[in-house]
Amino acid sequence: MSGSAGEVKPDAALGLEGIPHTGEGVTSDGHLIEPQAEDFRHARQAPEDADWFKRAVFYEVLVRAFADSSSDGTGDLRGLASRMDYLQWLGVDCLWLPPFYASPLRDGGYDISDFRAVLPDFGTVDDFVYVLDEAHRRGIRVITDLVLNHTSDAHPWFQASRSDPDGPYGDFYVWGDDDQKYPDARIIFVDTESSNWTYDPVRGQFYWHRFFSHQPDLNYENPEVQEAMLDVLRFWLDLGIDGFRLDAVPYLFEQEGTNCENLPHTHEFLKKCRKVVDDEFPGRVLLAEANQWPSDVVAYFGDPEVGGDECHMAFHFPLMPRLFMAVRRENRFPISEILAQTPAIPAGCQWGIFLRNHDELTLEMVTDDERDYMYAEYAKDPRMKANIGIRRRLAPLLDNDRNQQELFNAMLLSLPGSPVLYYGDEIGMGDNIWLGDRDGVRTPMQWTPDRNAGFSSCDPNRIYLPVNADPVYGYQAVNVEAHLNNNSSLLHWTRRMIEVRKQHPAFGLGDFTELGSSNPSILAYIRTYSADGAADTVVCVNNLSRFPQPVELHLGEFEGCVPVELTGGVRFPAIGELPYLLTLPGHGFYWFQLTAATDEGEAP
Amino acid sequence: MTSSPTEVITELADALREWLPTQRWFAGKDRPVESVRPVHAVSLVDGDPALLHSVIEVRQNGSADRYQLLLGLRADLPEHLGHAWIGTRAQLACYDATQDTELTGLLLDLIARGETHAGLDFQHEPGAELEIALRSRPVGAEQSNTSLVYGHHYILKLFRKLVTGTNPDLTLHRALRTQRCEHIAEPLGAIQGSLNGEEVTFGMLQRFLPDAADGWAMATASVRDLMAEGDLHPDEVGGDFAGEARRLGQAVAEVHADLAAALGSGSEGSDLLDRTVDAMQRRLDAVLASVPELGAHEAGLRSAFDAARELSEPIAVQHIHGDLHLGQVLRTVLGWVLIDFEGEPAAPAAERLSLRSPLRDVAGMLRSFDYAAHQLLVGHPGGSGAEDQLTVRALEWARRNRDAFCDGYAEKAEDPREHAVLLRALELDKAVYEVAYEHGNRPEWLAVPLSSIARITGS
Repeated sequence: MSGSAGEVKPDAALGLEGIPHTGEGVTSDGHLIEPQAEDFRHARQAPEDADWFKRAVFYEVLVRAFADSSSDGTGDLRGLASRMDYLQWLGVDCLWLPPFYASPLRDGGYDISDFRAVLPDFGTVDDFVYVLDEAHRRGIRVITDLVLNHTSDAHPWFQASRSDPDGPYGDFYVWGDDDQKYPDARIIFVDTESSNWTYDPVRGQFYWHRFFSHQPDLNYENPEVQEAMLDVLRFWLDLGIDGFRLDAVPYLFEQEGTNCENLPHTHEFLKKCRKVVDDEFPGRVLLAEANQWPSDVVAYFGDPEVGGDECHMAFHFPLMPRLFMAVRRENRFPISEILAQTPAIPAGCQWGIFLRNHDELTLEMVTDDERDYMYAEYAKDPRMKANIGIRRRLAPLLDNDRNQQELFNAMLLSLPGSPVLYYGDEIGMGDNIWLGDRDGVRTPMQWTPDRNAGFSSCDPNRIYLPVNADPVYGYQAVNVEAHLNNNSSLLHWTRRMIEVRKQHPAFGLGDFTELGSSNPSILAYIRTYSADGAADTVVCVNNLSRFPQPVELHLGEFEGCVPVELTGGVRFPAIGELPYLLTLPGHGFYWFQLTAATDEGEAP
Repeated sequence: MTSSPTEVITELADALREWLPTQRWFAGKDRPVESVRPVHAVSLVDGDPALLHSVIEVRQNGSADRYQLLLGLRADLPEHLGHAWIGTRAQLACYDATQDTELTGLLLDLIARGETHAGLDFQHEPGAELEIALRSRPVGAEQSNTSLVYGHHYILKLFRKLVTGTNPDLTLHRALRTQRCEHIAEPLGAIQGSLNGEEVTFGMLQRFLPDAADGWAMATASVRDLMAEGDLHPDEVGGDFAGEARRLGQAVAEVHADLAAALGSGSEGSDLLDRTVDAMQRRLDAVLASVPELGAHEAGLRSAFDAARELSEPIAVQHIHGDLHLGQVLRTVLGWVLIDFEGEPAAPAAERLSLRSPLRDVAGMLRSFDYAAHQLLVGHPGGSGAEDQLTVRALEWARRNRDAFCDGYAEKAEDPREHAVLLRALELDKAVYEVAYEHGNRPEWLAVPLSSIARITGS
């Protein structure tokens, strides 16, 4: 029946006329013709480095929000490419782009309607290759989100599946005659969905969806689905992308009598993805988005015997709310506890850690008590609550307190894991809580005090979201240009800290040991890394209290070493027999490298 | 060495009389030292440095107390040990060897090997495997004993003032270990010996908790946060402590349950109440005689104590901690841990070993919350409106956290507030003791227990 006259074409809903996309044509056996990597120019490769992701500073940037090259009010890929010098200057190593695929945008682009086409607002696949090229030229890598679990209901695969149950896509989704199967799977979006099944009048059956009803789950029991998704990976990897953040990985498979999360089959498929990367694209990475307790997330790294054979990285979710809680409590235990509960990970793996990202401050992983506490502390205005999180940017979350912003960033850059910065936080951008849903933290990047904050030259009324214009965080005061012109700005500070971090492999690659002390307001730890006979030992001391604090650190095993403060190079008194006494200003921190004692170099 | 260990101590007696009152752990600082004589002295290490282990008898005002002394002897005392110097004899510097890491490492090695050495019995607990040759360091700020930390692993507490019989600290820790109690620092070994045929505990080795912060520091960080806000209530500020207080209550209740399971429990009637209340009244008599400020509260105190005498239901008794307060609990990443089960150091040994109501421990902790709440107000210039405001906040903090502690306790055992009359009497008795202590030691703190007494008795 495919291709017959009068039939609605499966790509009818996409709005991708004139650019290569899935379903432009159909093969004689009914398969949709999809764009191939060979159809496009490929980007130059980033320099080879197997461990790059362990040392990297990541930067999450929303294409829509960063820079608009076409003056249509929406940021785009060419705009992002035009700001690459800034990102290189800042010192970030890898950009993480949330989805930029073709999408009806009913879930922020996570509802993908074509895995092989770019959202026309953002540009084209060729524009993406240009971004990659510009980034790689500067030693910056790029990863993006890929949603494995589901597609948009506008995806030609789904359109074919619903209209032709016996065709090649008939079994691409999870269909059922009733809505009774898998009753133990929880409903994730409790605010909007009442069931994981929705009736499709076209096919006359129910389809399975763990997220929104417009996002049908792919049927991974079908080997053709697995192959099709592996080919999606290959498509972008061929073009030169450096990796993927795999969205919603725990939900790929279903099994009766289970909660349909973290099933063994899901891990088997991730191992297949990893094998494609290792065999065909070495040096590229997979990052798991599994919003779970660390002891459960480690499963997504795979077999520790071989250094991990699933994802290279996974986000450490519970650490982030604990950082905020610890500083509010002026007490290290919320952080110490979660780090103590974090299991060791395989040798080839790394955590991703963050303070804020495009989603809310995630509270799924804290206990009810802690969730109540976080709400009470951070969301006094009920409009700041969404689902189960809190919609604020870092600066307003910390009452715009510069000392606290520095302390939080210092912890982010020194705790175990690769830090992920969120665009705009390096200049202390604010949020706009009066915008709906999660848009409050997705306003345009503030580049200059000019029209539209230098983000776009469009008519201000045309901009996708208003630029932040409030008296404290508005673009006239808070913008990249102003920060560049002020040497003591948060932006310059952030850049210097990233630079310091890069000089010390201990931050990215080192072991982590907490140094206890009798002062509960002090969080101190030691990062050590040894390679080729040289050791890099860094001691980090953080004052979680707003008041000055003393601390005595037990550094006896380093007796005779001299701590050298990392931002200024000042040599502190050598470590002696007695506990090492430090005093810290409120919300202050120190990073020291421990060096063997040598002469100060004074003239004889 | 030409002199025997006993002779060395005897020759040092005058130096020791000078030195003892300067030591924090010396219990008799308020009275002159009449004489010091060795009752036991052996050599643990010969050569230079040499190490002697001895017990000295210190006579003061007719009382004779025994203290443990580890004495180092060196021809040249290095500068970093200068603070440990006691005296010099026969061209050898004699000093407190607990400060000398070159000598103290031996103690751990002997415990690990389980050796009997020079009449001292070095033991490790069954199943405990110990690393040896760890670097040791003395712990600062300790009240009545001297502790050494080995690496990040172990802590060896050397008891200073000795009691005959196995030290209750060791007895109770061993009992709790049999229950796999999670709220203690695991006991790993001991140094025991005998004096005149009676067993004596010289030291106890435990797992060291390097990540721990004590409850007092935790609680006062919370109070500090509250006081800095001024216009917020304790449940509204970031430093709220109620969650910690509740978990602490749970921990104390679990320790009590484990002690009862391991060492038994009993039930007492009016005899115990009579004895308890008699002791309270006697203590009150004594303190009233020396602290006139307490007089205003005498009637309220006496009637609160006597109310306890009228209780008809039997009182559950068991082994308890005996000196529980926020300084005796540690917060670790795994939760709360109780330390120092020696009991009140000043109390007679028989009392420390007897079965007592676990409400005593609860009362001690409730008093400690009051102290923590008020400590920042000590020394404040009085009478200003701002101070009144802070006083209100302090009271709110204490009430919130005392309640949270009892809530937590009640989640694991009977709610202590079910025994309000006895709990009140025990708390007041403790406060009377505090009045005496503050009067003698820290007069500026006297208002803390006095105001609590006024509040509890409603006078």
